[in-house]
Amino acid sequence: MGLLYDSITIFKREMLIFKSNLRTNIIRSMMFPLIIIIFLGNLGSSVNNIPVAVANYANSQVSNQFMNSLESGSTLNIKAVTNEQEGLAMLRAGSISSLIVILPSFPKSTDGQPSVYVYYATSQFSESGVAIPFIENTAAKYSTGQVSSVSIQSDVNAVSTQGTNSSYRDFLIAGVILFSVAFGAVFGGGMSIIVDRQLGNIKSFLITPINKNAIVLGKLFSGTLQSMIYGILALGLGLVLGGSVAMGVAGLIWIIPLILFVGAAFSGIAIMLGSRIKTIEVYTIVAQSITMPAWFLSGAFFPSSSFPPILQPFNIGDPLTYATNGIRSVMLNGYFPVGQIILDFSVVIIFAILGIIISFALFKSTID
Amino acid sequence: MSQSDQYSIEIFSLQKKFGDFEAVKDISFKIKKGEIFGILGPNGAGKTTTLNMILGLLHPTSGKIIIEGYDNSKENSKIKQLIGFMTQETVVDSYLTARDNLRIFARLYHIPENRIEEKVNHALDEANLISFADVAAGTFSGGMQRRLNLVKSMIQEPKILILDEPTTGLDIQSRVGMWEEIKRLRSKGITIILTTQYLEEADQLCDRIAIIDHGKVMAIGTASELKKTVAKGNLLSIKVNQDEREKTAKILKSKLKMEYEEKDDLFVLTNNIDMDMMIKVAEELRRNKIDVQTIGMHLPTMDDVFMKLTGSSIRDSTGDQKAGKNMAKMGLIGRR
Ligand SMILES: Nc1ncnc2c1ncn2[C@@H]1O[C@H](COP(=O)(O)OP(=O)(O)OP(=O)(O)O)[C@@H](O)[C@H]1O
Ligand SMILES: [Mg+2]
Repeated sequence: MGLLYDSITIFKREMLIFKSNLRTNIIRSMMFPLIIIIFLGNLGSSVNNIPVAVANYANSQVSNQFMNSLESGSTLNIKAVTNEQEGLAMLRAGSISSLIVILPSFPKSTDGQPSVYVYYATSQFSESGVAIPFIENTAAKYSTGQVSSVSIQSDVNAVSTQGTNSSYRDFLIAGVILFSVAFGAVFGGGMSIIVDRQLGNIKSFLITPINKNAIVLGKLFSGTLQSMIYGILALGLGLVLGGSVAMGVAGLIWIIPLILFVGAAFSGIAIMLGSRIKTIEVYTIVAQSITMPAWFLSGAFFPSSSFPPILQPFNIGDPLTYATNGIRSVMLNGYFPVGQIILDFSVVIIFAILGIIISFALFKSTID
Repeated sequence: MSQSDQYSIEIFSLQKKFGDFEAVKDISFKIKKGEIFGILGPNGAGKTTTLNMILGLLHPTSGKIIIEGYDNSKENSKIKQLIGFMTQETVVDSYLTARDNLRIFARLYHIPENRIEEKVNHALDEANLISFADVAAGTFSGGMQRRLNLVKSMIQEPKILILDEPTTGLDIQSRVGMWEEIKRLRSKGITIILTTQYLEEADQLCDRIAIIDHGKVMAIGTASELKKTVAKGNLLSIKVNQDEREKTAKILKSKLKMEYEEKDDLFVLTNNIDMDMMIKVAEELRRNKIDVQTIGMHLPTMDDVFMKLTGSSIRDSTGDQKAGKNMAKMGLIGRR
């Protein structure tokens, strides 16, 4: 009988163990996301007097009223600028966190184009998270058109996007999902290989006529599936706690494969480490010192543009960065450009393939 | 029955090196079909290493193993169906039910899907676990876990069953239960190989015994054959005051011209001993005012055999078993 049959047997065994501890597994996997989203997801909600520049090309009565309403309250601190270029310069210099451009057509939209543009600097994530919904809500009172945001990453103008939904909570949820996936793989199913060896389970599998690669493959399947479950739970938790996915349900088409590949890669890493390390204690230290930095460097908490220059190359070299960016495009922008899809998926798929290959290679050599 | 048909397992000058260390030096023996064959030896003797090579988990550095006529370096997967193995540690998936534990192994042994349930139920019945079939195995007592482990090892109906220290750590009652179970399996025609550190287990349970130490076979035979190598008749054990050991040794050696071995705090005389001889020895010691604490005649035991072959009592060498083993695992103590 084939490798696949044997792998499925091992997979079933792993999933039965997972199921027998289902409640503990789920609660444990939810603790961190819950704490992070509740405590940090509301960051920025107390932010006020956010410096925002307005270039008012309409200069009509309505547009002035709009500007007044933006100024009322203490949320924004409005500075008028004469044109878009001046505002963008300020945005890039960091003296404002957003730039509002009111087009002459305000409040009507022309040819479906919005009459208000908002540029924001992603590095000012927490302020933007407050400012943009405020601007959107205020504009909605006047406008029949829509407000649209343009994100500026470092110094590159990104594409104008529709229906932008940018809060720090959503920004954070993308990172938290990947935390759940990576840590779920490394400390959930993947770690089982050490326990199995200590208890003699690996030996008792090896005396059966199965192909020993079936043990690796079965554990890869189960580790990946379990980490995906954790990732989806984290997303669900994020939504319950007030997050949203700009792309809507369709976003799952992108999010699920991204977490699948990340889950597979980290399951591979877990098996590789578990094949080499004899004790849980050492494993925990090694696994943490790989997973934690990978996660932080992906920009889970802070946009990578806010990293100091020496960390930038690590961010670029970190496979998790691409998974994070992909999920953020779906959740924050609601728009996942083809070029970015290709880049993000290529990196994540290569990462998964490497993790899997290495896990097979190293597991083999630990038996002879 | 031809010569090779008679044997279930034939081992020819097996050797295993771990780096520079020779765990198994030169082991040869043949195990007959349907017998209970015991491998007796202290910690670190090479018992588990030998079994691992029979099981195909380790590749021998040199030597050959033939199992039911198959060369195990070539026909490994065929052999795996023929051998059931119960590890030294009791291995059951404690979070899984007894039934699921068995189902998984039935699949790993490639039992056809439509026969799995029948096999599993049969195994549960054998292990007397029908009423606990759907309970997590982790909640079972040690004896129940071992029974489950045993039927799990036999789900593919092997011809040979290998048990690595099947009774280590069991209480007397469970140990006797396990012995009964092993004898029952032999009566069904299964060849059984077990390792043990218990002399009485080798003595009472095994049809033949190989005593191994330092990776070598020291002796092989039935318990009574082995005992005869120590002495044809009785032995005489004498215990004297610690201060008078040297004096006693001199008397025994030069005056009485007796052969003896020193075992723990005893002198064991191995010449053919009868009543007259015992009285003669006792009187000679009294004449020399030796404070004799114990003196007695007995037939050789496995302990005497072990003593003679290895120069130490198995209790010395296995000493504080658990601690010794763990320290060896951590590399804190090496081999003598
Ligand atoms: N993988 C290994 N690498 C290096 N040395 C090993 C390895 N496996 C076993 N040894 C050594 O080989 C020797 C024989 O070990 P083995 O496990 O066969 O002994 P044993 O007779 O089964 O003892 P025990 O009663 O403790 O189970 C020991 O000294 C052990 O430390
Ligand atoms: Mg052993």
